[in-house]
Amino acid sequence: MNNSARLDFLKELANIGTGHATTALSQMLHGKLFRLVTPDAQMLPFEELAEYIGGLEQIVAGIFIVISGDVKGYMAFLMPYESALLLVELLTGEFDGEELGELERSALQEIGNIMITSYLNALSKMTGLLMIPSIPALAIDMAGAVWQSVLAGAEVTSDVTLIRTEFSAQGKAIEGNIIFLPDEEDFARVARILGLEAE
Amino acid sequence: MVEVFVNMGQIRALKTEGFLTTVGLGSCVGVTMYDAQAKVGVMGHIFLPKQRPNDRDALPGKYADTAIPAMIQEALKLGAVKHRLEAKMAGGANLFSNLNPNSISIGEQNVIAVREHLQAAGVPITGQAVQGSHGRKMRFSVADGSVTVTAIGKTPVRI
Amino acid sequence: MAKTVLITDDTAFMRMTLRNVIEKHGYEVVGEAGDGKEAVELYKELKPDMVTMDITMPRMDGITAIKEIMKIDPNAKIIVCSAMGQKPMVIEALSAGAKDFLVKPFDAERVVESLRKIGA
Repeated sequence: MNNSARLDFLKELANIGTGHATTALSQMLHGKLFRLVTPDAQMLPFEELAEYIGGLEQIVAGIFIVISGDVKGYMAFLMPYESALLLVELLTGEFDGEELGELERSALQEIGNIMITSYLNALSKMTGLLMIPSIPALAIDMAGAVWQSVLAGAEVTSDVTLIRTEFSAQGKAIEGNIIFLPDEEDFARVARILGLEAE
Repeated sequence: MVEVFVNMGQIRALKTEGFLTTVGLGSCVGVTMYDAQAKVGVMGHIFLPKQRPNDRDALPGKYADTAIPAMIQEALKLGAVKHRLEAKMAGGANLFSNLNPNSISIGEQNVIAVREHLQAAGVPITGQAVQGSHGRKMRFSVADGSVTVTAIGKTPVRI
Repeated sequence: MAKTVLITDDTAFMRMTLRNVIEKHGYEVVGEAGDGKEAVELYKELKPDMVTMDITMPRMDGITAIKEIMKIDPNAKIIVCSAMGQKPMVIEALSAGAKDFLVKPFDAERVVESLRKIGA
């Protein structure tokens, strides 16, 4: 399979995965409308990774999950702090919009967990492969620090494949990204299983 | 005044004046080296402790074991004298602290590796703001060697 | 007398959500466990009529906890409430002894329906 066919395939996976993830989120929020942006699948050299998410000094909420099982990889869920606050308010119904306490942080952790796991459930259903998510890890900090911690956690080397899907809700009041860093070899296998045999 | 941003894996150097800045240090470690007499400053933004066998053509600044010698070389190129070099470091935090609570975090591994390689190179560490669970920004003034470390919701510190 | 329920989930938010739903429908929440290990200990101590069980948790995962609880009480009534709804995991949980498997996010009716069915 050549590079662009491989990226197209990953985009398709991301589309299905994020579709399920946002459906899960809108269920939690009792049907508030979500909009998905077409997934962006890229293979980037290490040198360009740091700038990939932009706004390095802005505060974001980030959730990081390690995938094990039949296929390995890493998933991250990143959203601007303002979006995270609004989401927590909508979910808990009583949050005053000030400092995030333990309950609010755990709500964010659970949102990330449910969205990422729904994404993986969809891929699992499609491929018949097991993708076990780790306990979600949550950080609220400068975007650059969170993103670089994700990349270090994923121990990326060079030419990293990543697939990002942006979504928004409530107009654009809630925005977020789901980023998937698949293990290259494992996903070549997934492509074969789905009949996208290597050329 | 010139301000040069140092991205993950990069090494940048300045002489006489200007600022070397790195934002978004999470588990990464920012390292500065300074020769006060020559007014030569170098900054690195280190990603992981040790070079991977499958990443041989990586930027030298990416890994602690290759970054420290490379930073010294950059300083010498601009006229620094090795025995006058002093180092400062910031970062090496563990933002995702509930992940693998029983193992040493990547941030801590980075801090340990940087200290080891600085010691091996004979460069003393004169200031640091490391570990914990929050991200940091590091701004290094090449005019006077001062380093300011800022974090969200915290008062900036000079190290 | 109201049937008693032990809630197991590693996030405080999900424990609160479950507690609200369960209490609103006339059940008594007798305990909350933050991981599988706590669930096993609390099961011994509280002998609840039913247990809700998350899968992905620190210290001890839900599958292991189901097996441990079934050893203590082969008649234990455990309902899995997990985001992880992949087929092999569902099969593993059910064969370990869970009576039902709810995939997060779930709506309140689905939880209550399961409690009614399992607790009958």
